[in-house]
Amino acid sequence: MISTTTLFGLSSVILVGLGLFGLIVNPQPLRKILAFNLLGSGVFLLFGVIARRGAGAGLNSDPVPQALVITGLVVAFAATALAVALLLRLFQETGQAITLDTEDPSIHAPARSNDP
Amino acid sequence: MMQDPSNLLVLALVLPVAGLLLALVVGGRYAGRIALWLMPVGLAIAVMLVVSVIRADDALVYDLGGWMPPLGVALRADGLSAIFILTTVAVIGATGIFARTEFRTLPGQPETRTSLTFWALLLALWGALNLVFLSNDLFSLFVALELLTFSAIPLVCLDGRAGTLAAGLRYLLFALFGSVLYLLGAVLLYGAYGTLDIGLLSGLVRPEPVAWGAAALMTVGLMAKTALFPLHFWLPPAHAGAPAAASAVLSALVIKASLFLIVRLWFDAMPALMNPTAAQVLATLGAAAILFGSVLALRQARLKLLIAYSTVAQIGYLFLIFPLIVRPESGSFAAADLYTELAATVVSTSAWSGGVLQAVSHAFAKAAMFMAAGLIAQSLGHDRIADLSSIGRALPITVLAFALAGMSLMGLPPSGGFAAKWLLLTATIETGQWWWALVILGGGLLTGGYLFRVLAPALFGSRQSVTLRAPVARYREVVVLALALCSVLLGFVRLGAFDLVQIGRLAKAGMGLP
Amino acid sequence: MISAEMLLLISFATPVALLLACGWRMVRERMPTLFAFAPLPALATALWAVNRPPWVFNEARLHITFVLDMPGAILLGVAALLWSAAGLYASTYLRGHPNLGRFSIYWLLTLTGSLGVFVAADLFTFYLTFALLSLAAYGLVVFDGTPRARRAGIIYLVLALLGEIFLLMGFVLLASAIPGDSLAIRDALATLPTSPWRDPTVALLIAGFGLKMGLVPLHVWLPIAHPAAPMPASAVLSGAIIKAGVIGLIRFLPFDVPLPDWGVALTAVGLLTAFYSVVIGITQPNPKTVLAYSSVSQMGVVAAVLGMGLAAGQSNAVMAATFYSAHHLLAKGALFLAVGVVAATGPRRLWWVLVPAAILALGIGGLPLTGGALAKLAVKPVLGDGRVELLATLSAIGTTLLMLHFLHRLAASASPDPSASAPIGFALSWMLMFVAAIGVPWTLYGVTGIGVYDDVLQPKILWAALWPILIGAGLALGLWRWGRYLPPIPEGDIVVVGQPALRVVVRCEDALERVEGGLRQWPVAGLFMLLLILILGGVMFHGY
Repeated sequence: MISTTTLFGLSSVILVGLGLFGLIVNPQPLRKILAFNLLGSGVFLLFGVIARRGAGAGLNSDPVPQALVITGLVVAFAATALAVALLLRLFQETGQAITLDTEDPSIHAPARSNDP
Repeated sequence: MMQDPSNLLVLALVLPVAGLLLALVVGGRYAGRIALWLMPVGLAIAVMLVVSVIRADDALVYDLGGWMPPLGVALRADGLSAIFILTTVAVIGATGIFARTEFRTLPGQPETRTSLTFWALLLALWGALNLVFLSNDLFSLFVALELLTFSAIPLVCLDGRAGTLAAGLRYLLFALFGSVLYLLGAVLLYGAYGTLDIGLLSGLVRPEPVAWGAAALMTVGLMAKTALFPLHFWLPPAHAGAPAAASAVLSALVIKASLFLIVRLWFDAMPALMNPTAAQVLATLGAAAILFGSVLALRQARLKLLIAYSTVAQIGYLFLIFPLIVRPESGSFAAADLYTELAATVVSTSAWSGGVLQAVSHAFAKAAMFMAAGLIAQSLGHDRIADLSSIGRALPITVLAFALAGMSLMGLPPSGGFAAKWLLLTATIETGQWWWALVILGGGLLTGGYLFRVLAPALFGSRQSVTLRAPVARYREVVVLALALCSVLLGFVRLGAFDLVQIGRLAKAGMGLP
Repeated sequence: MISAEMLLLISFATPVALLLACGWRMVRERMPTLFAFAPLPALATALWAVNRPPWVFNEARLHITFVLDMPGAILLGVAALLWSAAGLYASTYLRGHPNLGRFSIYWLLTLTGSLGVFVAADLFTFYLTFALLSLAAYGLVVFDGTPRARRAGIIYLVLALLGEIFLLMGFVLLASAIPGDSLAIRDALATLPTSPWRDPTVALLIAGFGLKMGLVPLHVWLPIAHPAAPMPASAVLSGAIIKAGVIGLIRFLPFDVPLPDWGVALTAVGLLTAFYSVVIGITQPNPKTVLAYSSVSQMGVVAAVLGMGLAAGQSNAVMAATFYSAHHLLAKGALFLAVGVVAATGPRRLWWVLVPAAILALGIGGLPLTGGALAKLAVKPVLGDGRVELLATLSAIGTTLLMLHFLHRLAASASPDPSASAPIGFALSWMLMFVAAIGVPWTLYGVTGIGVYDDVLQPKILWAALWPILIGAGLALGLWRWGRYLPPIPEGDIVVVGQPALRVVVRCEDALERVEGGLRQWPVAGLFMLLLILILGGVMFHGY
């Protein structure tokens, strides 16, 4: 019989795994952003589990992880917002979908030439 | 107020944040002025902090809201924090003066986006850095690092071009990847030991699988944010694409923050895990960074990319301190009395001082170099290294500053870089690891090589006159020169002032180390 | 009366002040006229401040210390003389030159470093001044801006940095052996013989200073860089600057304690250098290159003298080597200036230059009654009576041959305009150096107690000095007759291996760049992240 904590623990492991896979393998920025969120959720879930099992074991609940998870969620939300904003702006500039796996070759090309 | 010097810790955090809020309220027209007025105050606070730490000869601690850890969150300033806070305010202040006119709204003109963004982000960056240096709690440190990343990335793509936006996005996503790994590690630690306070952890962490996993996750996550080879791919386009003032802060300070945290983790939070082989692994990555970064810098066509790759290389030196602090042969942790074992393990204070000196002098030198490159690019309209011939004639002060900063990077006397190398080399000898000496010396030769590519044509070019597209304000050149001089003059204060590094170190205070 | 400390301070303050004054364009344009005066305080210091207690500038743990002992004072004095004369030459040479300001800066920087090494008393100050002179001299080497000068500059700089690296490591090893915080050379020298890192330290010091002196095989840069520089710069490079290597060996090798292995090795390298560079030198057509090879050869003799001293633990080697170097400094400086004077002089007045030049050139070979003969006498007791002494005599024959070859090439390099004559600045500085190269060794010989004048005039000693010259002259006749059959050898001889080595380096760099290109891919970096976690975790597990 699987206990609730183990079940949540396993779920968080699956989420982390999925997130890692997506973050590394998916070339599209939006999918990377989503993968980051999956990964983050996995970690927060794990934190929730730990509130039951870790130092808080035996207590009704450990308040510290809950406080930290909430803060973490806010941070992850802000990160997502920033990433999406950048992505939208990038789309406006280039007018096409880009991938992040190979970088823009113009970065390594010589600077724009104003010299005759 | 001044009776208790630990109030300075709060002041150091409140000042930039207050400035940020004020700037957001009053708008871009006055944001620059607010930032520039706050910087001398910040400098005074940082100096008082350093003096207080020296006078107390111990770390200053401030428990927020009067709550003690593990429930509360503490701020703590030891010698290391104090040095970095002072460096931060010095570099940020110089950046502010350098960028004064660049991001200014002229009277009568409509307010521009960058004039507000730049100053607000600079203040945010300053606050976040101070938070990193003062936090004593792994979760606050996580928040501080995120704040830092969020304020650094918009600075990268301030000009809004597609190239820099893509660079910024890559930087952001990779940094987030690193943050999540760090957070995962912190979560594991909390699960095992029930606290995230560094001081408490240092006494609790035992060598066991959960701690190893946490340490590995956190270290690698932070390495990604520090751009240690081979996780450096985001750095060159981001640092080379940003405006000069932003590149200076990014390369000089931002990457040092995550490195600072790695040092905190290994030597303060989890000293029991300090493992000689792991230290050798970190240093090997550092050596690879020196080799790859320098060779790539040798081959860049653009000045800013060259400097960015030079940062990749210089980060490598900072990772060499790990094995130099831990002696390789006495690495067994199986002994019953862990702390006596540890006391025998931490031997070399030269490595500590050398590492800190390297970080600080690199901060000044690299800031100077990026700003010098910015002035050159602005006045010539390009930064192609091949076309820098005789630029020394047109911009003597800028090129002099670049050369002085280069001296420090190369480790020529009497620069701070020289003193740092001297101390690191001494540490290699004290700990009997001559192979790292070869890396340090060879890296100096490669550094000389890529700086030669810039300086030889700039100083000895055959062009008799160089026409500038845009004039360069003298005061901006002087700021760059002042930064470069700081990095050179640091070489004179070695030995003495860097005893400060040892003040309030947890391992020292808590465990009676020599 | 000015105190010795003040005098020493003024010696350094003068070039530094002039350097700062270069910040103003007006001053910079007129700076070369002051070149001749910049080293004069140092000359005064050398004359009046010998053997005073070391002067320590120590504030807030800052270590800058100077000491002026006899060897330091002799070399400082003659170097200041050469810098002054060459400065006079330079002020004429540079008149109306567009890059005059640039020259002034590097000249003054090099001057500061060059004078500093002779009086530095601690590791930091010594390394600082040594690095200053090495790097600033690059500006003098490439000053002409020709492709040849640029190539010379690169080779010079690579080897100079290599030398710096040897020395840095050597100095760190020295400092690590000293108990406590001291960085004084005296303390370093006291602990060196018992240091656990004695052998690597001595090896690094000999490599670093030997490179500056041009000991084979680290001499490659010298015959390339010295001729590429403008004439006055060549004079100080070949005269004063390579003596930084000599003072380094003198200061850092423990001559009171015999180190037979290292002494024999240094002697062997020195003698090899002495002969090798004669063989290469006689194939060179450019008189400046011939002089550069001659400098290499002479430094080989100095190294052999110091090596013998080190092997036997006889500290009189120090004064002998100092005196020999001092003479070489003056004579070689004068001869480089002579090359410039001859190039500006037509056949009609040529003899006025060639005859004094011949006296100095043969003096380096040991012509009786010249300073060179005194120098050879001074090193004789150190070299002993055995094989080394014989080899040294043979090297004198070689030197004579090389110097006659130089005179031959010098005469051929005269100006084609029959009535041309050198500008007064050239002629004056050359005459000054000629007088100094003859007079100063004679004065020093007696004053410093290296020998007594009566010995010098004994017929036996005169003959012993003369016969190698005669044999050398005979060989020179042979060289003129059959010299054209000698193979042409490029300047810097073994530098030719540099080309293929460079290709290998470039190929390695290509490979590294390709690898880095792969690592810049996101998925690769991401995988590395996971891999590093596993490695670090695994290492910690294993370590436990």
